[in-house]
Amino acid sequence: MATSPTASDPPSSPIAASDTADNNLQPFFVLHKALPGKSEKRASGSGRTRRKIDLSASSPKSAEKSDQIPPDDSDAICEKLRLEAFERTWSKIDSTIKEVLRQINLNLFNEVLQWIQELFSIIKSSRTTSLSEIQRPYPLLTDALCRRVPAAFVFTKNVEFVDDLLTFQDLGVHLKSNRCHVASLSGLDFLAKHGIGGCVRSLLRQLVSDASDVADFAVLASWYCEQENYNNPIIIIIDDMQRCNGGVLGEFITLLSEWVIKIPIFIIMGVATTVDAPRKLLSSNALQHLQPCKLTLGSPAERMNALVEAILVKPCSGFSISHKVAVFLRNYFLRHDGTITSFISALKLACSKHFSLEPLSCLCLGTFDENRRDEFDAFPGPILRTAFDLPSCKREKISQGSGTSITQGLSQLRKLQRSWSSVVMCLFETGKRSKMQLLDIFCEASDPNLQISSMTRGIPITGKLGSGKAGFIAQAIHRVRELPIALLPHVLKMWSLHMKDMNEVIDKVKELQSNIASGDGGQLYKEKWTDIHKRPVYLGARKGTVSVNDKAAMLLDDMVRKYLTPIECAPFHEIICFGHVEILQSALIGDTRRIIQVDLLKPQNHLRCSCCNGDENIVSPTMHDTSIMYYLSQEYGDVINLHDWYQIFKVTISTPSSKSRKRLHNSPASKKLKTTPTENEAEIQSRFCRAVTELQITGLLRMPSKRRPDFVQRVAFGL
Amino acid sequence: MANEETKTLDSTPRRTTRSSSSSLSLSSPQKPSLNPPNPPPPSLPTDLLFSAQPITLDQLLSNLPGRNPQILEVLRLIGPLNSPTQPILLYGGVSTGKTSTILQVFRYLNRPFVYASCRSCYNPRILFESVLNQLLRHRRSRSSGFASSKRCERASEFVDLLRDALLRVLNELKERRGGKGGNGEMVYVIFDNVELIRSWDKSSLILCLLFRLFDILKIPELGLIYISSSTPDAYYSMTGSIGPNAVHFPEYTLNDLHGIFMRNQENPKLYSSFLSVVLKPFSRVTKRVDELATAFESLFRKYCEPLTDLKLFPDERMKRRLFDYIQPHLTASLNETFDVPVRSSSESAKDGDYTKKGSIRKTVGGNDSLAELDFHMSVSAKYLLLSAFLASRNPATLDAALFDSTGGSSSRKRKRKSSQASIDQNDHKAEEILIKGPGTFPLERLLAIFQCITSLSEEALEEEQLQEGKGIENATVGLMSDVLLQLSTLCNANFLCKSGSCPLDGSRRYRSTIDEDFALKVARSINFPLSKYIYRR
Repeated sequence: MATSPTASDPPSSPIAASDTADNNLQPFFVLHKALPGKSEKRASGSGRTRRKIDLSASSPKSAEKSDQIPPDDSDAICEKLRLEAFERTWSKIDSTIKEVLRQINLNLFNEVLQWIQELFSIIKSSRTTSLSEIQRPYPLLTDALCRRVPAAFVFTKNVEFVDDLLTFQDLGVHLKSNRCHVASLSGLDFLAKHGIGGCVRSLLRQLVSDASDVADFAVLASWYCEQENYNNPIIIIIDDMQRCNGGVLGEFITLLSEWVIKIPIFIIMGVATTVDAPRKLLSSNALQHLQPCKLTLGSPAERMNALVEAILVKPCSGFSISHKVAVFLRNYFLRHDGTITSFISALKLACSKHFSLEPLSCLCLGTFDENRRDEFDAFPGPILRTAFDLPSCKREKISQGSGTSITQGLSQLRKLQRSWSSVVMCLFETGKRSKMQLLDIFCEASDPNLQISSMTRGIPITGKLGSGKAGFIAQAIHRVRELPIALLPHVLKMWSLHMKDMNEVIDKVKELQSNIASGDGGQLYKEKWTDIHKRPVYLGARKGTVSVNDKAAMLLDDMVRKYLTPIECAPFHEIICFGHVEILQSALIGDTRRIIQVDLLKPQNHLRCSCCNGDENIVSPTMHDTSIMYYLSQEYGDVINLHDWYQIFKVTISTPSSKSRKRLHNSPASKKLKTTPTENEAEIQSRFCRAVTELQITGLLRMPSKRRPDFVQRVAFGL
Repeated sequence: MANEETKTLDSTPRRTTRSSSSSLSLSSPQKPSLNPPNPPPPSLPTDLLFSAQPITLDQLLSNLPGRNPQILEVLRLIGPLNSPTQPILLYGGVSTGKTSTILQVFRYLNRPFVYASCRSCYNPRILFESVLNQLLRHRRSRSSGFASSKRCERASEFVDLLRDALLRVLNELKERRGGKGGNGEMVYVIFDNVELIRSWDKSSLILCLLFRLFDILKIPELGLIYISSSTPDAYYSMTGSIGPNAVHFPEYTLNDLHGIFMRNQENPKLYSSFLSVVLKPFSRVTKRVDELATAFESLFRKYCEPLTDLKLFPDERMKRRLFDYIQPHLTASLNETFDVPVRSSSESAKDGDYTKKGSIRKTVGGNDSLAELDFHMSVSAKYLLLSAFLASRNPATLDAALFDSTGGSSSRKRKRKSSQASIDQNDHKAEEILIKGPGTFPLERLLAIFQCITSLSEEALEEEQLQEGKGIENATVGLMSDVLLQLSTLCNANFLCKSGSCPLDGSRRYRSTIDEDFALKVARSINFPLSKYIYRR
């Protein structure tokens, strides 16, 4: 690595990568790429850049292993530093994420708590039940005409439930710390198979630790009468209501309603979709026993905005992502998965890849933290020098220098990033009102082409996209012009908060604020205007007076021009910025089945082996077993007779390679063809089984059912 | 017998050798420990009696408006203390006052009774143990692991244990009365919600046991009362013995309902004027007290909204004004069975929601269909949902025509085909589809449709993105991968349901449960021309 690491070269050598590729069975690869070592094959044939080849084939571990091939002291040090840097960076990001999510959820938690406390105080004041009454088996006679269980529906606003499992867990902890008894049930407790006994048992097991196994609800009443439990509400959290069996849940609710007069029970249910969901799931009789209330969790978009702000825009760790990666993550979030969980895991993957692939990535923390500057000195010189071979440096023609110049470059980078993020936040502050998402603005603002176009053309950014729709930045600027005058002071205040490090902008914002405070309709005099903006272009465009809105818009426009320099335009950005979108893509999305099918049918394209280089439509015994099997299966309809299939497979692979025949399998006569078994029968059978299993794993086959044990079914034709 | 009694008194665990396989029978009866919060175990009579102060007959009759004939009938059937009571079955619809009546009756009679609801006691073991616990006056406590007094799982055990316990209780009662004598003693057992037993395992066995308990035990001092919401015929076939005396609890009349709702009102005049508005239309829909109470609770709050002083007596003019105010809410609330009020901390949001609700009510859901999808769903999940909707909605035979590669020409093709005969046939088919509801489909068909509609839209999307100048990286982000993951997501959200396997090939079939409005909403959010693909006659 230290020998000739030019920047375009991947850090790991191709040979090492191919060696490790077979051991490199990540979960993604197992599912999407059933052929062992296929990633390597695919890549070599796909004719893309060499960079991609090795990256897709090497996991962090293998990359590190391959790094060690040239035995060099500096390399080992570097490796250690990078690992350390990754751990520190990720722990920082991780804690930031947790904090952000906690803050968002805290609102809801407090609201839930308030709801419980309000209702509980009403219950306590209206009912004075003695302990002995609670333990009576018969219902208490009250004036209440119907017994209803207080139920809060928490709308999670996301079809996917993964993100919210943790939220409900935290909610339980939060309520527990506020003197509530909490039991969390899930969809698995409400199965039709176990009936109502399942959920009552699970409830009792969580609350009454030393209960016998009889799930009698009266146990709960006796337990509640114990001194340490008495007079605290019992909260039942059902995190995913929609996965429960409606009948069982309904029965459970009616059961609770029999006890609700005696024991203060509250239900909190998570609903993923709409208000209709409980109505559809539960019978009207069960609904009758609920005293509902609707609470809403922060939508995924809101959470995403907060996360992007905390992690990417205001870099908490020094690590950042390039435009391409940002666009990929955005598309992945919107079009595929839509969960924060997968977004975070993608980010983690990007982070780990960055530190394992970029030799200088350990400088990342140094860029972020001023106190860590001295780490540069500990750094081996030769490695440091490679920084000047980074493409960004070559582009800017920064010549090889000493460590100090790198330090300067990095601090410049940091400064650039800081001002960039301030402007992005200002843009988001204005775009927020028209439901703009921070991730969208982030993607656009990090586009390296944005800067070039706005610099070279010199026309207002609003016209940047010309024919197409206006970009988000342009929209945000335009939005300022339309902003009601009452809202403007607030927006300006937010701007000044975001731009607090930049004095010249702060001054202008302050001047605008004072204008609003003093001026009545926001009309300004020409003289003031010229003081602030020395650009005659605008003067010509405006005639004399300019409204505050226009002025604010121009200020924003000015900020965008001056400070919105994407990080990818700066030298040394490769050190802190992850840009290999292909890695993420292959790891997260994988190939579609169609590609797998095409690959299976034409393995020659990837293998480029000498033995079957000829006509592509010929099945040759030297091909991979799975490929042969798939090829043969093309002759069948929906179902494949296993026996026939096996016979043809046997014939195919036992024929010597020189006599590659055309389409032997479609003639029934081929079955009777007697070939002397060159291979052991057992071995052929095992190869056959393995190939069938692989086809099943790829999702192209369904195994024989009990009803038709001799047939396998083909699935996903052409998909 | 005496031997048995001492055994139970000493509270030695009476282990049943065969059935008690687990170590759990160790959680055997113990003397209830005297925990500080628990009051000391009360003496016998108060423990089995109703806890509140007894009431007079007049109070009893006035407490339960509209149930006077039933109360008198029950009292007649229960009879005096010194004569045996034949089993009684109280039956009638849900929320007709069966349980309250019998409990109030016992409060008036002040006689010992045992109550077991088959809803709380949802399996035989819990039912048996609950009855025994009460008779033995066992109190669960932490020290005994909240266990029951006896472990009793089988019906035969139950009969034995019940007989022992009953005799013990009766003996104690007699001792307590001491010299008075002559009057006789009775213990009553009430089984509530008996109709639920029918859905248990071995339901006929348990029902048979419960209804023949009187004949089996042959203890004249035992009175049995069953409460059921289904008619007595439901149990005849199962018992094989003389049916219990049945008392029917009919639905409340309008006057009864008025009487019930007028109890304990702070401002009777105001509430009476409110009832005169709402009771009649609502009672045409339902006469269940609990349903009406829920509906009236929120409506009355609405009704009082324009009033500043809740204590004033409304005159005619004000009544009319209040009626005008409540009128629009009335019809909406008649159609609404389940209303989820929003709770939000910010007042402004609350207000906004109220105004929105009002407008929705006026147009009866007209706004609803225009509203946007208010939860997050990834684009590929949306496409999958739409394809599932189409697969459920359209007949499979038309897939080829609808999802032709040429796309637009499909409608022309269909037109050409339709002769008069085929139109009739299609009419018939459409009717059939309507009756059958959403159809089922195999996974393969869903994926095929999904591929068709995504490939079309991806083309459009790519063009759009090329215009925007960032098509390169987006084009490769296909929608197809992870389809099966999305499928399970949709199943979890109850948008799709798995419905049995196909009888021929044994593969799993799915069915979409969403309605057209929702599908259109989803389609609108991704600009998909759904209506083009829906098969209509």
